[in-house]
Amino acid sequence: VKRACVFLILAVTGAAALAAPTFTEEETRKIAAHGPWPAPWIRDPSNRVSGSAAAIDLGERLFFERRLSANGEISCSRCHLPERNWSDGLPRAVGLEEVDRNAPSVVNVRHQHWFGWDGAHDSLWAQSIRPILDPRELGMSAARVAKLVREDKDLSCRYRKTFGSAPDADDEKVLVDLAKALAAFQETLVSGRTAFDEFRDAIARGDRSGVARYPEAAQRGLRTFIGKGACDVCHIGPAFTNGEFHDTGIGFFVRPGEVDPGRHGGIKKLLADRMNLLGPYNDDPKRSTATGTRHVSLEHRNFGEFKVPSLRNLESSAPYMHNGSLASLRDVVKHYSELSPDRLHSDGEAILKPLHLTAGEIDDLTAFLETLSDRGGTYKRRPFPEDCR
Amino acid sequence: MRALLLAASLAAAAAGEACELPGGAAQRIESPRHLVLYRSQPAPLRIGEHFALEFVVCPAPESVRVDAWMPEHRHGMNYRPTITALGGGRYRAEGLMLHMAGRWELVFEVRADGSTERIAQSIQLQ
Repeated sequence: VKRACVFLILAVTGAAALAAPTFTEEETRKIAAHGPWPAPWIRDPSNRVSGSAAAIDLGERLFFERRLSANGEISCSRCHLPERNWSDGLPRAVGLEEVDRNAPSVVNVRHQHWFGWDGAHDSLWAQSIRPILDPRELGMSAARVAKLVREDKDLSCRYRKTFGSAPDADDEKVLVDLAKALAAFQETLVSGRTAFDEFRDAIARGDRSGVARYPEAAQRGLRTFIGKGACDVCHIGPAFTNGEFHDTGIGFFVRPGEVDPGRHGGIKKLLADRMNLLGPYNDDPKRSTATGTRHVSLEHRNFGEFKVPSLRNLESSAPYMHNGSLASLRDVVKHYSELSPDRLHSDGEAILKPLHLTAGEIDDLTAFLETLSDRGGTYKRRPFPEDCR
Repeated sequence: MRALLLAASLAAAAAGEACELPGGAAQRIESPRHLVLYRSQPAPLRIGEHFALEFVVCPAPESVRVDAWMPEHRHGMNYRPTITALGGGRYRAEGLMLHMAGRWELVFEVRADGSTERIAQSIQLQ
């Protein structure tokens, strides 16, 4: 009988360990901070056509426009495919040639304040110029882009409808305007509601039945996310990112003898870029979104730091990390579980340490991360109206 | 005589006399030599949002620097604030941002009488 009782106690204890957790007031506050979703729309004051229907239409056309590449065969959608959460499924993106980094998704990109893995750009329109001119991506020049828009009757008409006048004689001005239309389109790419969002809203309003509909494994994983894992130190807020940069212990050699400097190189590029928010193309005379550019500080520790990505819709944007070196979400969780402190900068931040998760905790944390995807998205390419007049 | 004057001003500072930051409620940090009153704009502080600090140091120092760092994480801010002296020991610092949740130390490095005093206050950001 005694043996049977011990077995029963063990069985009950085991069942309890796997049950859905009851969240404390502090945990509930942390969970609620990851919403509501979607976040409110805020137009970009640095882009005079942000939110303009004509600009969104022009930007959508340009995003899929193959003549925007040097060989006339690829467009932005080469690396940002709608069906792959606006990424490409490759470890490293391939434009005209392979580049050194993973193609980041452009969904929810409007919530960022730094753009690219190294944050070399401070606006979505400045970021949109970079791949157009990069010889390994679309390989164009300002002159070729401006010529295309001036000479194509339809694009020229839509440019005029968007900006109120025909394309300028200044090639750079035309390029920047087109990048602002591209940004206006990308601002519309927002992920939909997820199972996590339903749970978050339920727990915030004290709806027990709503809470119970969220998978138990995901609830346990969420507790690890905001507790033992402390993942929410960096992955904060409704978009699950603080938008800043950290060293995550991923190697930053791009090839033998050559490193990717990450944020250190990004800050240098940002400050040297006349397209930044302190430059002449910012449409906001108050420079109200330029505070970060004005005050950003270049530190030695920025070597090997990369931007904290949003975790929304990450299920469909594998592989992961700045160089696409981790194939699955489970691999990412295991990376943080088994992280070697030797791979972090000795003079850098002391944020990360190996989490030493059990196999069950890895399963649960992965299950939680999977509930951050909207399983379908909201983008449907609109049929373009015909002639522009 | 100079020592007496300094002692008198320190006593006034310690008592909070004639040390004011007009415009509403302010946080207060005292050290053996100085009193700092400050408020953030906007308030309260939010993770990942730029903010400015209005502050006064009593007695008025020669110069002051403002910084913030996370002792447990061993890093500071990613931004370097600019400080404008407004006269009479009053200043405005712009461009600060606390980019992570957790315990931060807001640090005022006050330069006066040939030495620098570090005056810090702990902030728990959630």
